[in-house]
Amino acid sequence: MSPDLAVVVAAVAVPFVAAALTPLFFRVLGEETGFAGTVVALASFSLLATQYGSEGTVALEWIPALNVALRFYVDGWALLFALLASGIGALIFTYSPAYMHGQSGLVRYYAALFAFMGSIIGVALAADLIAIFLFWELTSLASFVLIGFYTADDSSQYAARMAMFITVGGGLFLLVGFLMLSVVAADILGSGAAFDLAAMLEESDAMATALRDRGLFLPVLGLLAIGAGTKSAQVPLHFWLPNAMAAPTPVSAFLHSATMVKVGVYFIGRVRPMLVGPEWLFLFATLGLTTMTVCAIMAVAATDIKELLAYSTASHLGLMVAGFGFTSVYGAETGVFHLLNHALFKAALFLVAGIIAHEAGTREINKLGGLRHDLPVTAAITTVAALSMAGIPPFNGFYSKELLFEAAVEASHYHDIGLLGWLYPAVAVFGSIFTVLYSLRFLSLFVGDRPEALDYVQSPPVTMLVSPAVLALLAAVVSVDPQLAVDVIVQSGLEATAVDPGEMHVGLPTSYSTPVGMSAVTIAVGLAAFPFYDRLHDGIRGVVGPTPPIRPNWWYDVIIEGLTDEGRWFAETLHNGLLRTYATWVLSGICAFALAGFVAAGAIDSIGVGTEVTVAMGLVLLVAVVGALAVVLSDTHVAGVLTLSILGFMIAIFYILGSAPDLALTQLVVETLVLVLFLLVIEEIPAIERIAVGTTVRDVALSLVVGVTAFITVLVSSGARPAGSTDIARYFAAQAVPEGGGTNIVNVTLVDFRGFDTLGELAVVALAAISILTLIVMRGRGDERSAARSDDDAIETRDTDTTTGGTDE
Amino acid sequence: MTAIVLATAVGALFALGTFLLLQRDLIRVVWGLAIISQAANVYLLTMGGIAPAVADSVPILAGHGGGAPQTADPVVQALVLTAIVIGFGMTAFALVLSYRVYEEHGTLDVTELGDRR
Repeated sequence: MSPDLAVVVAAVAVPFVAAALTPLFFRVLGEETGFAGTVVALASFSLLATQYGSEGTVALEWIPALNVALRFYVDGWALLFALLASGIGALIFTYSPAYMHGQSGLVRYYAALFAFMGSIIGVALAADLIAIFLFWELTSLASFVLIGFYTADDSSQYAARMAMFITVGGGLFLLVGFLMLSVVAADILGSGAAFDLAAMLEESDAMATALRDRGLFLPVLGLLAIGAGTKSAQVPLHFWLPNAMAAPTPVSAFLHSATMVKVGVYFIGRVRPMLVGPEWLFLFATLGLTTMTVCAIMAVAATDIKELLAYSTASHLGLMVAGFGFTSVYGAETGVFHLLNHALFKAALFLVAGIIAHEAGTREINKLGGLRHDLPVTAAITTVAALSMAGIPPFNGFYSKELLFEAAVEASHYHDIGLLGWLYPAVAVFGSIFTVLYSLRFLSLFVGDRPEALDYVQSPPVTMLVSPAVLALLAAVVSVDPQLAVDVIVQSGLEATAVDPGEMHVGLPTSYSTPVGMSAVTIAVGLAAFPFYDRLHDGIRGVVGPTPPIRPNWWYDVIIEGLTDEGRWFAETLHNGLLRTYATWVLSGICAFALAGFVAAGAIDSIGVGTEVTVAMGLVLLVAVVGALAVVLSDTHVAGVLTLSILGFMIAIFYILGSAPDLALTQLVVETLVLVLFLLVIEEIPAIERIAVGTTVRDVALSLVVGVTAFITVLVSSGARPAGSTDIARYFAAQAVPEGGGTNIVNVTLVDFRGFDTLGELAVVALAAISILTLIVMRGRGDERSAARSDDDAIETRDTDTTTGGTDE
Repeated sequence: MTAIVLATAVGALFALGTFLLLQRDLIRVVWGLAIISQAANVYLLTMGGIAPAVADSVPILAGHGGGAPQTADPVVQALVLTAIVIGFGMTAFALVLSYRVYEEHGTLDVTELGDRR
């Protein structure tokens, strides 16, 4: 069955339409807008569900000239991710009204959530590299808006900027990788498939070979890894994720655990069949396992429940990346199955954290305990989710972690990786021990005694309980019957991401094998070490705290601060308020670029040929230059204006001699007007003494540079001019009478062929006239008013200046 | 003579205009702007090819029936004509702006004006 274009496009478009309509929703529903969101998300979900079982590409034409199309590819993997996004979206929208009760800025909040949901569904389904990039960056943009939701809070702004900087920056690396891919694809698959990822994946082997032949395999792999690694918070660029917890908790649950951060993992899975190989194994298995371990350790060091969950999320993303990194079929099974499992239990845990923060009023781990008395339902939800996170059998997290162990053990069977064959399983076990530890710590918030300091804890509203309960229930279903989840969706996701997919079977182990032993060791050591949790917690903090250089966050701060200082220095040096400084930089910059361009293009050689100039023209030009020299040397303003006029009239004569009578007429009129204007104005200004020159040497030098550049430019460009008249000139000459009905070609061009240009020109003159009028008239009024008004006048003057300046260009 | 003459004239006008642009007297800056735009117009016309002024090279057709003669490039002339008019608007505006600056601040020294930030 092939997918239906209208349904797929509608599933992506519905959330965007809802985003545009959010103000309307809010006006009608107020704080209950979230429930409208539930309906929208469910609409997308059901549209996607109708495509269940279909596979294929559908496309809307977008930029046919560049072979870019709004192309969507539907298969099990895309549907798994898109259904997760819309399904969890529906739960988050249900949860939001109660959590965000009484907050301002809800229109922005819901609009960004809608836009995010549309982009994430888009990124899941898109099969065109440009469309993928677009949706990818849109999710970053929505994340920026949502992390920075508390606009009055500095730390929230800091976190939003950081997330934007890292994820959008990573997206740019991805774009470069895409362009390399598209160049190769255009070569071997034909230009029609230049951006068609689905077509590239069809021809995975040919693409991989072509990439290797051109030496682009490693660059593409590296660039895609940076893009995916920043988005999915892989070490060392993971630090934006814990900071992103400044966002409201529903956002953390939705974007920063269940969906957006998984885009990187999703994409790694998507391109896996094309790029898989020894380099792939080395890169992603190492990256993933490092992230998994480092972030699990950092989660143990966390003091805030959301911080703990954030590090834990990064750690589990590492697990998925490592899974996809292992080239065996178990690797793909790990990645796909854990993506589903993690979304279920981690979103539930975040929503639980939201309930705790909302009802207990604190997120400090040390201040919380014994919550099962006050929040019995939440405690039940947490038990399922936290044990699943820990990977304790028979909860669903156990199955996918077991698959990771199996993939790690199998790795050495597929590739000759030497010592790494032992190191990968060992690191996987080591990291998982910390996972067990922090999961138990989270669960322990609900057991034991209530601390004295904890205030009265209210029961959460039903709408806040429904969402995590649904997720926990799903997690429980997967725990009881993992094969059901595999049959329903995971198997089809596996087929898209694995090179040699087989029938996937999961279940509780019935006999001993190495992975079972590894799980047993993990759980046993985790349980045994749990009594020493506080000592471990303090120990890690003791190491990380006093040595900032091992924290990437510190490097980020140092680099950003340095760039900010540099930028400020740069701006103050270039834009110091002195007109001459601006002119110096602009002019010398233009000269440098022009000359460098000529040299680079080898254009200097073509100097020599040129147009004929008569003696009369030479003389007229000489007088013009002498006139200009007299302007420079003039002592008084009046002398300067008069000599400037000589220059202008000489140019008019030059136009006559150069067979351009229309220009000459215009120039004469304009010169006369300018002369009158100058004289009128100068009469008002006293002949002030010549202002000190100061840096004449520098001025002369710069003038000479500009003059020489202009000289060379004229020579180069008149030398390069094609002989004879251009096509367009011949066309205008031939069509002047039949089309324009006039014999003066220049006039016909101005008022007919290029009539709109003339309209623009007249607009400029009109604007100049209005501005001049404003300047003069406002001054007159200003005199009548109090002195305090003069500030406003100054502002208005600047505004007018900008308008005219803009149109001049 | 080759394009050297034109190139020298345009180069000299640009140099003199730039020198005025860097002066501290605002009125002189406006003059500099005017000279540079004149020079740019001459440069543009040069690009179209300067033809000696004989009846055939003027881009005006002899009559409604006749064919098109070998003319100087009319496209460039239309372009320069627009540029002249816009240059006029800009010069006039800059001039009145300078006048207004003088009225507000009592000086035309751009260095002094810049320091007032």
